[in-house]
Amino acid sequence: MLLYHSYNIVFQEVPGEVTLAINLSNCPNGCKGCHSPYLQENTGSTLDENVIATLLARYGEAITCICFMGGDANPEDVQNLVWFIKNNTQGRLKTAWYSGRPKLTDQFNLTTLDYLKLGPYIEQLGGLDSPATNQRFYCVIDGELEDKTLGFQKRKSLPAFPYDIF
Amino acid sequence: METFIIKRDGKKEAFSIGKIKDAIRKAFLSVGSFATDEVIANILCRVNISNGVTVEDIQNQVEIALMSERYYAVAKAYMIYRQKHLEDREVRDKLQFLMDYCDAQNAATGSKFDANANVENKNLATLIGELPKSNFIRLNRRMLTDRIKDMYGKEVSDRYLDLLNNHYIYKNDETSLANYCASITMYPWLISGTASIGGNSKAPTNLKSFCGGFINMVFMVSSMLSGACATPEFLMYMNYFIGLEFGDDYYLNTDRIVDLSKKQRTLDKVITDCFEQIVYSINQPTGARNFQAVFWNISYYDRFYFESLFGEFYFPNGTQPHWDSMNWLQKRFMKWFNQERTKTILTFPVETMALLSADGDAKDKEYGDFTAEMYAEGHSFFTYMSDNADSLSSCCRLRNEITDNGFSYTLGAGGVSTGSKSVLTINLSRCIQDSARKGKHYLFFLEEVVDLVHKVQVAYNENLKYMHEKGMLPLFDAGYINMSRQYLTIGVNGLVEAAESLGIEITDNPKYLEFVQQVLGLIEYYNKKYRTKDMMFNCEMIPAENVGVKHAKWDKRDGFKVNRDCYNSYFYIVEDESINILDKFRLHGHKYIEHLTGGSALHMNLDEHLSKGQYKQLLRVAVQEGCNYFTFNIPNTVCNSCGHIDKHNLKTCPVCNSQDVDYLTRIIGYMKRVSNFSESRQIEASQRHYATVSQL
Repeated sequence: MLLYHSYNIVFQEVPGEVTLAINLSNCPNGCKGCHSPYLQENTGSTLDENVIATLLARYGEAITCICFMGGDANPEDVQNLVWFIKNNTQGRLKTAWYSGRPKLTDQFNLTTLDYLKLGPYIEQLGGLDSPATNQRFYCVIDGELEDKTLGFQKRKSLPAFPYDIF
Repeated sequence: METFIIKRDGKKEAFSIGKIKDAIRKAFLSVGSFATDEVIANILCRVNISNGVTVEDIQNQVEIALMSERYYAVAKAYMIYRQKHLEDREVRDKLQFLMDYCDAQNAATGSKFDANANVENKNLATLIGELPKSNFIRLNRRMLTDRIKDMYGKEVSDRYLDLLNNHYIYKNDETSLANYCASITMYPWLISGTASIGGNSKAPTNLKSFCGGFINMVFMVSSMLSGACATPEFLMYMNYFIGLEFGDDYYLNTDRIVDLSKKQRTLDKVITDCFEQIVYSINQPTGARNFQAVFWNISYYDRFYFESLFGEFYFPNGTQPHWDSMNWLQKRFMKWFNQERTKTILTFPVETMALLSADGDAKDKEYGDFTAEMYAEGHSFFTYMSDNADSLSSCCRLRNEITDNGFSYTLGAGGVSTGSKSVLTINLSRCIQDSARKGKHYLFFLEEVVDLVHKVQVAYNENLKYMHEKGMLPLFDAGYINMSRQYLTIGVNGLVEAAESLGIEITDNPKYLEFVQQVLGLIEYYNKKYRTKDMMFNCEMIPAENVGVKHAKWDKRDGFKVNRDCYNSYFYIVEDESINILDKFRLHGHKYIEHLTGGSALHMNLDEHLSKGQYKQLLRVAVQEGCNYFTFNIPNTVCNSCGHIDKHNLKTCPVCNSQDVDYLTRIIGYMKRVSNFSESRQIEASQRHYATVSQL
């Protein structure tokens, strides 16, 4: 069962998209220097199809993407909700997953995702915007992963404005 | 028990009979007479001193006592003496204000009455503007209350003063004699120059005389308004003059050299030099306006808006506006202005992009795209979206219904001439909290207030008509603006705070919606009720530049519940982090703004720029929610050390690495340094929640 702590509308996590990001708790990764350690605790409310349907009713027309932040303890539940979103929006909404695992489990069907972030947070290497980062941000095209991590670092270097990297 | 009296400064002092005796003796001596102890005793018999009596009251009693004892000459001398002291005290107070102003942190904090919005620094010129403000307030109030008495009787006039003095309502721009703001048609100027409004320049005949004449014209118009001057036809007329000189197809080749001087300028350079001349001239502090720059607004249009506004328009040479070149010029100006703003702080013009919507998106795809592109390039401007070209927002706040899209050979395009004659604001927070205190339903009290403010506005309109009849308002006579197309505006402030006081949650929920619709619906009902053939009313949520701060302060002082130092200018709580960006669009969507006929601009605060694709989606969101007027506000960084201006929100200067940086942010329409806000407003700006990008 997935638990979520909060949700928000974000713009930087998935470049070019207006994203509803759902912050999942119960994170098993326990990265040192985690920016939101409260998400490692077993707190929040149940995230199921009903909750997703409510969020879709409220924000479905206004957003272009839904992103699951975490949920590594229950990848199959994330998979099911991704399916649910794709089915209920006739594929209009894109889906993204921010996972802290170095790689996905083999059971996970990549074709239902449009974006994927992999890799734990390692303090010395930094997050996606750090040139030394171990984390990877991918665009999923025909089930294949295309590494777009560089886009996050470009956006930080001034004076370029954010642009749609895809 | 010792008796205390109250001095003029409010302090208590032990009563001393000696001081009264002294004053009486001096009064007798001043007319060459002498007061014996017996005479003084007789006078004092008539003076009644009780604990807590004021100095003013004692002096009144002495006056009457002198007359009762038939010392008329002495009484007169005493009165003249008092009057002289009153005048001295006024001068002393002014002097004190002058010194306080000199010591104040900036011009907005120093201003006592009505902080001039776009004054950057305090100096002698701004001080000269501050000093007569209290006199203007008295004069304006007197003119208005005399007229109210005339039209509705003393009771209504007294009630107005009562509500005003107790801060249930607020009269905006009471420190100026001029009517408020206007969006003008430039056609009369195009035909006959500035002579009809008291100037001496002839009609423009070429690009050069257009640029110079335009600047003069805007300055002249602004000196007769207390608020903004919008020129929605600026680029269209400029395009006409460029076309006359370089051909209607000039935009097809702007790289050619058209300047045969040593400079060898290209056509593009000639045009952008014209932009530079106009924009830099108009952003100058203006002598006649106490060192304020004029408030200048312009509009851009998509193809459909343009066609419906100017499709019937004819220039003096019989030609019609040319869309393709206009399209090029609009984009060129916007791009140029965006670049120019990285060189220096340019506040004006405030720009509004007017887009027609259809099927949940911008109808003109090219302009929807261009709008998103300009936002993504960091340009700061407003967007007005409507599904019908029956309204336009040409001011930084004012929306107007277009009643006449026709063209007239004397007045030009009908749709652009509008504005607000006067704004009178209701402090909803106090009205509603006070009703609760008195155990009454707020709608009863509110209805009385709403009815009264309409009467006051009608009286204002009569005064304006009087001025007009006496030939004091040439802008109307010359046809730049039209008496019957200008609104009398009912402002609202403290809406969110009023709802909070009733325990209503400030989110998109049925209870809050009902409250908003009830309150704003009531005002709209009265707007319609008082409307006549040549008198229109609208309602707007006023930008709380300084009224919001004042209301919060006064209400807190009087024991009302006040949750913040500056009342909101939005339908949501600015500092509430749980309200996301989409919620904000919804809370400024059609359900909420339906009765806000004068408009309200959603200032979407973001901490970083978005991509073009993201802005495009947000334009769609705005259309879907029916949020017709908005801007995106990303603080720009100004380095105090090297002067670099950066369109990003930064903590250190990317050029010289200095940490001494300031921020430019949009506040009711125009860009301003945060450190030039008044103190309370600076706090509001720092609490303002810029939607954060969560850390990765």
